[in-house]
Amino acid sequence: MDRQDPLIQKIQGFIDRMPSLSTTVSKVLEVCNSPRTSANDLNRVISLDPVLTGHVLKLINSAYYSLPNQISSLARAIIMLGLNTVKNLALSTAVIGALGKKSSFTTLPMDAFWAHSICVGVTAKAMAVARNVPSTEREEYFVAGMLHDLGKIPLNTCFAENYGQALQLAALEQSSLLKAEQLLVGVDHGVAGRLIGEKWRLSPAIIEGLGFHHAPDQASDEHRDLVATVALANLYANIYEIGSAGDLHPESAFLLGILEIMGLKWADLQPLQSIVNSEIDKAQVFLNLTEKEMK
Amino acid sequence: MRARFWGVRGSIPCPGRQTAKYGGNTACIELRFAGSERLVIIDAGSGIRELGNFMMAHDLPKGPIKTSIYLSHTHWDHIMGFPFFTPIYLPSTTLQVFGPVNHEADTLETIVGGQMTYRYFPVREAELAATITYVNLKEGRFDLGDGISLTTKYLNHPILCLGYRFECRGKVFCTAFDLEPYKNLFCTDPADPSYDEAMAIEGEFVAREQNTELERFVSGADLVVYDAQYTLKEYEPLKVGWGHTAMEEAIAVGKRNNIKKMALFHHDPMRTDDQLDDLTNIYCRPDGDDRPEIFFAQEGMEIVL
Repeated sequence: MDRQDPLIQKIQGFIDRMPSLSTTVSKVLEVCNSPRTSANDLNRVISLDPVLTGHVLKLINSAYYSLPNQISSLARAIIMLGLNTVKNLALSTAVIGALGKKSSFTTLPMDAFWAHSICVGVTAKAMAVARNVPSTEREEYFVAGMLHDLGKIPLNTCFAENYGQALQLAALEQSSLLKAEQLLVGVDHGVAGRLIGEKWRLSPAIIEGLGFHHAPDQASDEHRDLVATVALANLYANIYEIGSAGDLHPESAFLLGILEIMGLKWADLQPLQSIVNSEIDKAQVFLNLTEKEMK
Repeated sequence: MRARFWGVRGSIPCPGRQTAKYGGNTACIELRFAGSERLVIIDAGSGIRELGNFMMAHDLPKGPIKTSIYLSHTHWDHIMGFPFFTPIYLPSTTLQVFGPVNHEADTLETIVGGQMTYRYFPVREAELAATITYVNLKEGRFDLGDGISLTTKYLNHPILCLGYRFECRGKVFCTAFDLEPYKNLFCTDPADPSYDEAMAIEGEFVAREQNTELERFVSGADLVVYDAQYTLKEYEPLKVGWGHTAMEEAIAVGKRNNIKKMALFHHDPMRTDDQLDDLTNIYCRPDGDDRPEIFFAQEGMEIVL
């Protein structure tokens, strides 16, 4: 990645003013303004918005608090810094985001993007549970899944016309959006995602999830399991068409490769379906979204 | 080291006949170091007014006042005495004010100095004659010179709050107020609709881990000034989440961590002298184990380490 590249510089300029998803902002305001907010509701409302989650983790890990160890889970942040601090961080971020710009979704449909993100987060966490990942690490799988496509937000805003063409090309040729992005935008969402992760100082695992969920073989040994889980969860969401982030035609060779990395068969994922559907339903009810808004 | 209490109350000053013995001023502690002219002040509650008067009489004749205030946090009972701290009106005074500030809040200068605007007070912060600098402090370890080191630790309170651990010539003085033990804030009842197993497990893990860190922070101190605003009976039904500790819990921390002396601090403003005497009889009697020596902090009390 050439950081002097004008494309990269344009993306970096956008990252800090990237607003939250309007899908969740009203609920964030409702939950965070309530004096009786529970820790569960606070965690949930933040974690249902990938942009807000990233911003809040960025602030918590910033030099502002100067905490000795990096925090990659909202649950940990809430216990360590307290409900009030996290509420205020979320509130200031969500409000600034909502007022800062009308929408950062010029070509991708925002609500479908949100539904896709939450599906990947929920699926990655369900896979972590099924594969006995230690309970204190499961939240990171959820966050990594929820945030995996963040890189698409600057691309579809900063290069709206080219990005629209990339989406069309991927749809017409039934091919990978990543390749269409490389061809027509010049930067793919993995690269843009890594820029976001690095700028927001997210955990190394989440940064690798943002950067390598289309190439888990490039992930470090330490984080390959998490990255492969996110990659598989992403394919799951795309194949079952739960929400959409423009990547509708996964390559079967890629799917087989990930299953091999993880030592799984596609059939192993079938039991997850009811868990994933139930979690998405709960999120939908929590945010008072209608089914129409989800599609 | 030598520590002296100028204010031991929490929440609001409560002068009167019923509080004359332990004192009615809010948090302020003077700390001096052997072999050094350095004077450190912990918190600027209403007790700092009398400390300021003392400094005018005893320190100023020796030369210009140079001191630092370390604020545990910026709740009002810990900063309300600042406008009445006389040395800030002297051009010869040099003062550094350290303290933690939440991300979304104003600067430390605005929060502390903001009490000094015409709507609240006849002198504006900008009109103060002393040279005052404000430093936003975080968790970490700092070398203060003169063989003094300072370790700071975030405490569990509704806003960002720091505990201070000063070490000098093998002696350790530590503050841990305003503080509540970390708790799992997430729902742990599987029957509750909002229950989430991962959140519940992680909440439990992090709370336990942070309480261990806190105990490590105060461990081995020669004197710990520890939050003990409530009794356990007062705390458990109504005061959970208010950011304070039950005295039974404070004492248990002291016993577990090889602490030599523990001053129970931040007395509830409703607590009378008689009640504190009664509590002393219950909690501060030697029980065969001579550590820690436990007592309720009193205004004017001086402890040499």
